[in-house]
Amino acid sequence: MIRNLIKNKQQNEGVEALSSDERRHFLKMGLKLTGVFAGGSLLSLASVVEKVYATPGQFNDKYPYKPHYSMIMHLDYCVDCERCIEACAVTNDIPKYGFRTNILERQIPDGIDQQVEFMPVLCNHCNVAQCARVCPTAATYKNEQNGIVMMDVKKCIGCLSCQLACPYNARYFNEEKWAVDKCNFCFDTRLSKGEDLTACAEACPAGVRIFGDISDQRSRVYREVHQVSRTVWVLRPEAGTKPNVFYTRG
Amino acid sequence: MKKLLLGTILLGLALMPAFADDSGGDIHYDKPVIGVLFSHASHVEEAGLDCDNCHDDLFPMEARAVQEEQDFNMLALSEGRYCGACHDGEMAFASSTRCASCHEGAIGFRRALGLNDSGDRH
Amino acid sequence: MANGTVTSSLTLGEIESALVGRLRSGGNGYYVAVLFSGVLMLVGAIAALYATVGGHHTVYNVTREIPWGVLISGYIFFVVTATGLCLVSSIGHIFGSKTFMPIAQRAVFLSIVTLMSGFFVILAEIKVPIRMLIYNIISPNFTSSIWWMGTLYGLALCLMIFEFIFLIIGRHRPAIACGFVALLAEIAAISNLAGVFGLLNGREFWHGPYLPIFFIASAMMVGASATIFFQILAQKVNGEPFTPMMRTCLAGARKVAILMICIILFFTIWRTVSTLVGMPNGQYVGVMAMLTGPYALSFWGGEILMALLAPLVLYLLSRGTNIRMMLIASGLMLIGAFFMRYNMVIVGQIIPVYIDLHVTGFTELLEYFPSANEIIITLGGFGLTGFLFLLGEKIFNGHKVEDH
Repeated sequence: MIRNLIKNKQQNEGVEALSSDERRHFLKMGLKLTGVFAGGSLLSLASVVEKVYATPGQFNDKYPYKPHYSMIMHLDYCVDCERCIEACAVTNDIPKYGFRTNILERQIPDGIDQQVEFMPVLCNHCNVAQCARVCPTAATYKNEQNGIVMMDVKKCIGCLSCQLACPYNARYFNEEKWAVDKCNFCFDTRLSKGEDLTACAEACPAGVRIFGDISDQRSRVYREVHQVSRTVWVLRPEAGTKPNVFYTRG
Repeated sequence: MKKLLLGTILLGLALMPAFADDSGGDIHYDKPVIGVLFSHASHVEEAGLDCDNCHDDLFPMEARAVQEEQDFNMLALSEGRYCGACHDGEMAFASSTRCASCHEGAIGFRRALGLNDSGDRH
Repeated sequence: MANGTVTSSLTLGEIESALVGRLRSGGNGYYVAVLFSGVLMLVGAIAALYATVGGHHTVYNVTREIPWGVLISGYIFFVVTATGLCLVSSIGHIFGSKTFMPIAQRAVFLSIVTLMSGFFVILAEIKVPIRMLIYNIISPNFTSSIWWMGTLYGLALCLMIFEFIFLIIGRHRPAIACGFVALLAEIAAISNLAGVFGLLNGREFWHGPYLPIFFIASAMMVGASATIFFQILAQKVNGEPFTPMMRTCLAGARKVAILMICIILFFTIWRTVSTLVGMPNGQYVGVMAMLTGPYALSFWGGEILMALLAPLVLYLLSRGTNIRMMLIASGLMLIGAFFMRYNMVIVGQIIPVYIDLHVTGFTELLEYFPSANEIIITLGGFGLTGFLFLLGEKIFNGHKVEDH
């Protein structure tokens, strides 16, 4: 028995014993891994779309909603004037202690051209929304038509497990509503009333936030996300939530 | 003699901030958008500009007076007014690039002036 | 079950006088303990009511980034202990091991009591408990670990109450049936409780399949210790000598506890080693916070020393016969287990979700320390357990079980 095991082990030792197919597969895997690690959180366009949505060839399933609301952020245009935060607060009645969208600041002391970069964040309206999965009463859910992650305020029991599950810190408890509150792409306040843009996208003086229907190939969101020469990434891809907010520069 | 030398050095050290103040210090604009930093130190000491390079033709001496002008915005800069007189891509980097090198943002503004998140002083 | 059969043929008045008689049989120490735990429970309840009505944000220290504080830790402590007690009691009266027979009824009762303490604490953590009662039933989400956990623990509580009633009226077949289903419900519930944390992709500190296994082993460990702890206390409360049967039982629970401590130690060591070697993002900083950071005292003092090493040494030294040593060991374990839950819940959250983006405010560990109100409510949970345990000893006449 043990002798057999040793024998097998000896047979498996070394690359010579591998078939060429296996070797090719192994090398491919190595390349993929190096690609991921070399790029860090930066991913090329192809990998973003592949990673974020579906396998190639499932094009129709790539953007499962219609309209499939999405946003792409032009990071380097953001100057943290916070007009988006103010517009959001006014439009959606956000209390002082909370926010639906925020601007983060990244300090880069060894940056050559500038030493600071600003990063707008909001709910990523993930295709695989962890918050909607963990909610015990389905108070937060994916809208079946447009994919917006919504809140049904009256069902929220305030267990806050959605806040725990969200990899983007996009949720807070609204004491006035007695429910967790979050970005809904201004669905109740603007989109359902015929407006095309969210309050934050409209308020941005620098054109950082481009909002639109990514299932529409003529939309700017679609064209920018699918532009091969453009580097596009998402935040925390490793969380596997398939977010719908993209980031780019330029 | 030693005492005199030491005294001179101490006096010099004591006066340094005063000299820095004389060159204008940091100006934090909050119009038309909040959080734009103009650093006299980096323009005078590092870039070697003189006062009369900018004053009073491009900017009045009074700090932040210029932000009350209606046309003090990025469009004017791109047309060569205000900062755009130098920041044209030739003399200095163009005003349409490196946004966050001047825009410290609301975060930077609050930090520099010691305000908390809601804009009140700590 | 002489006691049970007698009760069922008594009139209400006779039951009352029997109960009063039993309650009066306690010594001064007993009354002080009842009073103390009762006050603790009441103050906790008032603090919880105050927080729920006035709004949690006014009195709790939890934040947007750290929404789950000491109350969730307390909840987990109580329900994991409840599962452990249920598991240990099952060895006796469901699977028929003679060793654990004498403690079966008490363990079932304590499992009910600790589960109720858990529910008490989590009611104070849920912000809108009224909606929970309605929408958990009419709008269930079957992908939610929390829903399963809550529902299964609720089911387990009902089943164990039935089991207990059947036990005291001496009907063993239905008691065993209820106990068996309750056991399954508790095991399913605790694994879902672990799933609440373990299924979160975005939280590397918790994510993975190891938490459910850890929770079950941990439940057995704490359950065995809770059995020993309350058994010894009960003997003192009732002023009864340790019979050879009881000694065999304590020695058996001690063996279970020792085995489980070793498993948990093994687990903790390997988890730490794998984190230190691989330095996985989001997990490494958490483990370091416990090894050398702000949670070092809570980890080394609470989790390692009080919950694992000290009980292990004391249990071994006691040889299963030194009652005092076993009481200290099990008491230390219960306190240490609370720190274990606390570390697990809090350290998982002090790691900012944006830590890898290197953005201002989220580059370092976040801070949390429970407010006085939160601590009082948690202590209230302990008060509830103590109060009901003490009352139960007298009302149910020391949970005496006849050999069948």
